Amino acid sequence: MAETIEARFAAETALLDLELLPGQEAALLEAYAALREMVALVGADYPMAAEPAHIFVPVAAAEHGK
Amino acid sequence: MTATNPCFLPITAAAELIANRRLSPVELTRAYLDRIEQLNGTLHAYVRVLHDDAVAAARAAEVEIMTGNHRGPLHGIPIGLKDIYDTTGIPTEGGSKSCLGRVPTEDATTTRLLKQAGAVLLGKLTTWEFAIGGTAFDTPFPPARNPWNIEHDPAGSSSGSGAAVAAGLCAMAMGSDTGGSIRWPAAWCGLAGLKPTYGRVSRAGIMPLSFSLDHAGPLTWTVKDAAVVLQVIAGHDPGDPASAKHPVSDYHAALVGGDLKGIRLGVARTMFERDCVASDEVLAAFNRSVEVLRELGAAVSEVELPPLALYNATAFLIARGEGFAIHAKTLRERPQDYGGLARDRLTIGAYVRASDMVQAMRRRLMLAEATDVAMRNVDAILLPTAPDPAPRLAELAPYFGNQRPTYMRPFNLTGQPALSVCNGFDSTGLPLALQIVGRCFDEETVLRIGDAYERATPWRERRPSLQ
Repeated sequence: MAETIEARFAAETALLDLELLPGQEAALLEAYAALREMVALVGADYPMAAEPAHIFVPVAAAEHGK
Repeated sequence: MTATNPCFLPITAAAELIANRRLSPVELTRAYLDRIEQLNGTLHAYVRVLHDDAVAAARAAEVEIMTGNHRGPLHGIPIGLKDIYDTTGIPTEGGSKSCLGRVPTEDATTTRLLKQAGAVLLGKLTTWEFAIGGTAFDTPFPPARNPWNIEHDPAGSSSGSGAAVAAGLCAMAMGSDTGGSIRWPAAWCGLAGLKPTYGRVSRAGIMPLSFSLDHAGPLTWTVKDAAVVLQVIAGHDPGDPASAKHPVSDYHAALVGGDLKGIRLGVARTMFERDCVASDEVLAAFNRSVEVLRELGAAVSEVELPPLALYNATAFLIARGEGFAIHAKTLRERPQDYGGLARDRLTIGAYVRASDMVQAMRRRLMLAEATDVAMRNVDAILLPTAPDPAPRLAELAPYFGNQRPTYMRPFNLTGQPALSVCNGFDSTGLPLALQIVGRCFDEETVLRIGDAYERATPWRERRPSLQ
């Protein structure tokens, strides 16, 4: 993993195959830094069984469109 | 700007006059169209005015009413729709160059319900691009302006909806709310803005921004008007996978008068005195509002919610992840067809990893449960809607971070009903607002509290002084 936020941003942009327009990189880099802070705040240390808010709920075929 | 101007009648008052055949829907519609003609060049609230269609719909309403077929309180009432609500045969462009010329072949469910109730569609209203692009000058339509001071922002994303209702350019406007986009313009334009419970009102036929956070709801001059509209648009819709089958209440009957005895209110003080400190005038107005509600008989205590930054971070990841998924193809193929703000705010969602998204959804459930626990002993939560009154146009931060969050997004995450009501004006005459948050599917209590507050305060007597 790249060491600086700028390097991580550049690496992910390349991985995502995003072609940024002129001038977009600076704004997105700022946003990316804020995004990673938010990811850290939300955290990843959850009990194994902690379910997400939205899970798929199957319905019988006859229920679709009712 | 007089009490006799029909454009300033609340829906309930106009409806009574129409039902009693003392106000003609055609005359009312023409009065609004004249006012739009006079003011829209300044306010930019409408992107498209449907002059002929509106007069024709008003004529049809008038004929029906005169022949004894009165459909209800929205029959003959002129309204506007945010330009992300699909309207058959009428362009719905989401404020974006990428959708210019897009003409839906079906109405959104809410559009259809409002038409069935006899409402008269005056036109389509300005929106932030795809309900996310912010106050921008590089999109096909100029940004709406705040009728209380046209140098100031009306907020968004339902910017035209807020400006139009406040300026008397329609009796009601529909907005959408993913992170506050109904309540925020309601707050800064001095209106009632209701975000119903997630699933209460169909989003089918409304351009999506974030599937699990999007809500549809009305902006009105009074809380009572919001109850009238909710009665028409609430209910299960198989066209919206998130639509709830929960029974629809009688919202008007819930407005029992000014007495709030038996109602328990919890002030979420940490949010606006610790997490994001509200400005002095917002705080003072809020504290006065709490005293008014206490005098009306409500029991007031304090509740402590999880940190605002945690709600906002969780909602941000979900909203951006879902938003990018919706726009990914067009963003890659035609990025130049987006304004700069919308392009950046959507593109950042590409960097939300699958695991980030799942963790955010896990956190979401925890926050919803924690909020529910905090509300164990209260019927509703009180807090300001926004920490500040409206800034000058285009001074809003790009909101990439958590620098100065509003107090609305937590309740998109939890899905709870939340109502913004005007609770005074700052020293420059800009509106301030109180937010009332209820339990899921308990819109009645939220509306009851808001209505009682409005009856006890003089804020509905003041209108913007536009010429």
